[in-house]
Amino acid sequence: MENNEPKIACFMCNFAFCQTEMRIPSNTSIARVNCIGRIDPVLILEMLEKGADAVMLVGCKPPDCHYIEGNSQAEITVKVLKKLMCLAGLEPERLKLLWYSPIDKKSFSSYTKEYTEEMRKLVLSPIKKAVSESPLMINILAAKNVASEFRLRVLLGREKELTESVNVYGEKIPIEEFNSLLEEIVASEFVQQKIHVLTQTKPLSIKTLSEAVGMKPATVLRQIVNMRRRNMMTLDHIEGTTPFYKALEVK
Amino acid sequence: MASKGTTLLQAGLTMAKNNDTNVKRQLPPCRTACPAHVNVQGYVSLIQKGKFRDAVEIIRKDMPFPAICGRVCFSPCEDACARTNVDQAVAIRALKRLVADIEREQGRVKSKPVPNKSNEKVAIIGAGPAGLTAAYELAKLGYPVTVFERMSELGGMMRYCIPDFRLEKFVVANEIAYIKDLGVEIKTGAEFGKDVTLESLRKEGYKAIFIAIGAQLGMKLNVPGEDLEGVINAVDFLRDVALGKHVDVGDRVAVVGGGNSAIDAARTAKKRGAKEVMILYRRSREEMPALPHEVAEAERDGVKLYFLVAPKQIIGENGKVKAIECLRMRLGEPDESGRRRPIPISFSEHQYEVDTVIPALGQVAEPECIPKELLDMKARVPSMKVDPVTLETETPGVFAGGDIATGPASIIEAVGAGKRAAVSIHLYLTGQDLRSGRDEGIEETTWVKNWDSLSKKERRYEPPSAKPRLSFEEAARYLESIRRKAMFEAFRCLGCGPCAECLANLDLCEGDKAIVDEDLCIGCNVCAVVCPFEAVKKNEDGVAQVNEDLCKGCGICAARCPERAITMKKLTDEQIESLALATAGGK
Repeated sequence: MENNEPKIACFMCNFAFCQTEMRIPSNTSIARVNCIGRIDPVLILEMLEKGADAVMLVGCKPPDCHYIEGNSQAEITVKVLKKLMCLAGLEPERLKLLWYSPIDKKSFSSYTKEYTEEMRKLVLSPIKKAVSESPLMINILAAKNVASEFRLRVLLGREKELTESVNVYGEKIPIEEFNSLLEEIVASEFVQQKIHVLTQTKPLSIKTLSEAVGMKPATVLRQIVNMRRRNMMTLDHIEGTTPFYKALEVK
Repeated sequence: MASKGTTLLQAGLTMAKNNDTNVKRQLPPCRTACPAHVNVQGYVSLIQKGKFRDAVEIIRKDMPFPAICGRVCFSPCEDACARTNVDQAVAIRALKRLVADIEREQGRVKSKPVPNKSNEKVAIIGAGPAGLTAAYELAKLGYPVTVFERMSELGGMMRYCIPDFRLEKFVVANEIAYIKDLGVEIKTGAEFGKDVTLESLRKEGYKAIFIAIGAQLGMKLNVPGEDLEGVINAVDFLRDVALGKHVDVGDRVAVVGGGNSAIDAARTAKKRGAKEVMILYRRSREEMPALPHEVAEAERDGVKLYFLVAPKQIIGENGKVKAIECLRMRLGEPDESGRRRPIPISFSEHQYEVDTVIPALGQVAEPECIPKELLDMKARVPSMKVDPVTLETETPGVFAGGDIATGPASIIEAVGAGKRAAVSIHLYLTGQDLRSGRDEGIEETTWVKNWDSLSKKERRYEPPSAKPRLSFEEAARYLESIRRKAMFEAFRCLGCGPCAECLANLDLCEGDKAIVDEDLCIGCNVCAVVCPFEAVKKNEDGVAQVNEDLCKGCGICAARCPERAITMKKLTDEQIESLALATAGGK
């Protein structure tokens, strides 16, 4: 029983929270925050890493946000994180964004029960069995690095500005274009971060790396060139004709 | 409960948003319309959640009279309510009354005396709404405050001029007891100008003096026959009734005037056994300054209203009132008050036979009470010369406010004056500029578009006023139904103000602010882009700076900062993590 019960970490907007109506199931823990937009993407990945089977974000239904656009920020976070989770080999269903209000007809506990049922089908998080050196853990670590990485966070922060109003050049980016750009960046960032994590402990050759990442050596090489430009990597040593690369400490 | 409320709520919110995208960045209109700037949205949203006691506490932060204002306030907040765009204003006053009543019935938590933090004694003259509010605010700041009152009981007009059926005496006593418990010293039976003067107070060591003696003198009719027996001014009449004196009004009573005190006097006379009570008002019903629902109540009591009549003289017999002779009026051009000026119609004299005439034309200050040097000689009626913002008089350390400075007004305006005076006195005693730190930023915000819909319809929500006799089980159900009705009414609030107005969770909302780690900040400006309240901005050095007044502590900037340079003061990422891991964690 204990083992089958999926554990859900729930972040809840203070304004969706109502003490009197809440019956919180024992498998769920609730962290109340001022606004659901407060939740850092890294925090969600950390939850999954530390053993939660699923993460639920509960916020007020648009357009009703006490902080005007906190819930739309949460939507952006969830959108990107689902992509990252796919890349890392985690089911994106493990993250759910729920719009809830204390005056909803349906009670909060029935929402959580439904979600728990859904999670039961997915069985337990593979992370629980994974050891620290396993590919999944490396993926999660890489995903966390992507989420805390500058390029992605700037894009996330500016998404609304870029797609809803114009930038300094008077251009407006269509949301489709922005999404495809975001996808591209997430994918390439993820590969780079994964290479970075892999080479942190010992120098690796392009061949081993391409096997670990599951990409052509030429693609891996291009990423490594980019990473050297970004001061993330360095050439460690050369064995015969094979160069070995090592990650540099990013500040 | 849910469906209709939710759809209407969203309809209204979308309307408010379309009207002005910056709507949520301003203070809500109810708060700006209130002279005391009471945090209306805050307590209404707490009522939504059923936290009635917390709601009263929120009201008490801004003013000490929740139950009194819940009964007799003229509720400018409801006039400004944005819900009017959708259907009808939220019944703010009724909700306030309900939460205050429930708190009193269940036993109020006694206020703790605030220890004196300062030696600068403050004297407050007059224990009306203005004086008591100033005492309340200053006592909270830790000043030793003494209130001097001429009458034997505190409350001023609230106690002596509002009849019992509108505002019960025990309600006034309860609210004043709260102020007393804070450690305010009270001296009754001390009349200003006789028992205490500015000089005597200075000699006793009072560093600041606030004069709030109000306007206690009923205005005269200025017609022949006013000295006859049976002419009693409304203020004196109501005061005598409140003091329990025997007042014989006879069978027929004429009340002259159209304000709230006219209505009060008429209803009191009716309740004291007068067979026929008439209100004579020189304009028409639309121009009446009295609250429409009060007028309706009076009519229900059987008071007759005669419009467009003004008294010409009072006819007496053996020194007693026999009849009142009136002239018919018609309405001319609007005067400086915006109301149409009444013009007498010649040869329209007619008489009403009456036993008592009660003039209720408003009040003026008693000129002999005001020190000569502070008297405003230019004013039409005796009043004091004060600065309208800081309320200081020309004598340093002496402040004046309330009816004495502004002419007769309402309780809530007096409360506002009391608050302003308290700020001024605090600034004066700490040696700061009296004009600094004022809420100048509070501008009227209103987006009520359809002013016609403001005509006060019959309220859909009324708080329970009479307590039914019930068994325990019935009482529990009754109380629950009252609670649910109030919560439902509160859910009609659109929440147009910014978030932290509601203070739904005092521990979380209040004071959670973003902090920028300046060493980590690289000036990318993402925080400024995501902040809904424009609270974070880059300074000249390219480092983000948080404006703590605007920051509502939502934390969106902390979640988006690319360098993770922004953290929150109260709820850091680590704390959120440990909260969320409480049961879900463990590998």
